[in-house]
Amino acid sequence: MTNAPGNGTIHFKGTDIIILLLAVLLCVWLYFSLWFGQAIGKADTLIVQIDDQSPTEYSLKNDRLLKFNGRIGTSLIEIKQGKARFIHSSCRNQFCVFHGWLTTPGDTTACLPNRISITLKGYASEYDALAGER
Amino acid sequence: MKQLHFITTHEDHRVALLAALAITIHIIESAFPTPLPGIKPGLANVITLFCFIRYGWKTALQVSLLRVVISSLILGSFLSPTFLLSLSGALLSLLSLLLVQWPFRHHLKYQPSAIGYALIASISHISGQFLVAWYFFIPHPGLFKLLPIFITFAVLLGLVSGIITQFLVEPYKALPE
Repeated sequence: MTNAPGNGTIHFKGTDIIILLLAVLLCVWLYFSLWFGQAIGKADTLIVQIDDQSPTEYSLKNDRLLKFNGRIGTSLIEIKQGKARFIHSSCRNQFCVFHGWLTTPGDTTACLPNRISITLKGYASEYDALAGER
Repeated sequence: MKQLHFITTHEDHRVALLAALAITIHIIESAFPTPLPGIKPGLANVITLFCFIRYGWKTALQVSLLRVVISSLILGSFLSPTFLLSLSGALLSLLSLLLVQWPFRHHLKYQPSAIGYALIASISHISGQFLVAWYFFIPHPGLFKLLPIFITFAVLLGLVSGIITQFLVEPYKALPE
């Protein structure tokens, strides 16, 4: 391959190929660590907000079932192995139930008709020291 | 009344010309719709890369700062979050280009070509924007779920802009500065 100017070919130097490989590796590593891993930190607290009451916190360490009374009925929230989910809510759409497990800090779901929202927090993780969304 | 006389050098003219090109590309590009906020081809970066490879980091810094400031003035986003994101991306990408070039500054043979530089520039550009966005605007850990997508697009679009830059740089290689 000649280096003649403007001959219409694409040249990859050795350094370019190394950089490209590193970039692809970075991509793959990011997918694995941020989508499938625990790089964001572990959640250890569940925060439940009912209507306009002040939020209450529950530890994720103990598996338990929580029952709350909201505007239109009861909602059942399950805490299991550091995760949390709605398993029943007396609303029509059941969006909160279909959301499934909340696993990482910052995960949020809500039953709007019943005015109950739950969020996971990880006080041990470094990112939550800065969290200013509440 | 005493008149002001500005003495402009050849380098000033070059910076002005290249900055004008970069601003034009930036503004045309901003009219295109994007699939995700933050993902765009970054073709204005081709000019910055061209400056960096052919004239060195000082010209590249001047051109990219001029591009960021003037195109934000034209688009009406000066000192807005968009402007801050644009500025942080441009500065971080130039800084990382310098960091990559530094170890090979006396070994031209081992320096990456336009494609390698473009990859570095696009990845660091989006990373800088992402960090600023996360730190100042949306401090929510869930934002990190978007990072792999951003980096994937950065690699793909970086390759494209690298190839364009290479076609731009090659014909000038034989010419003196």
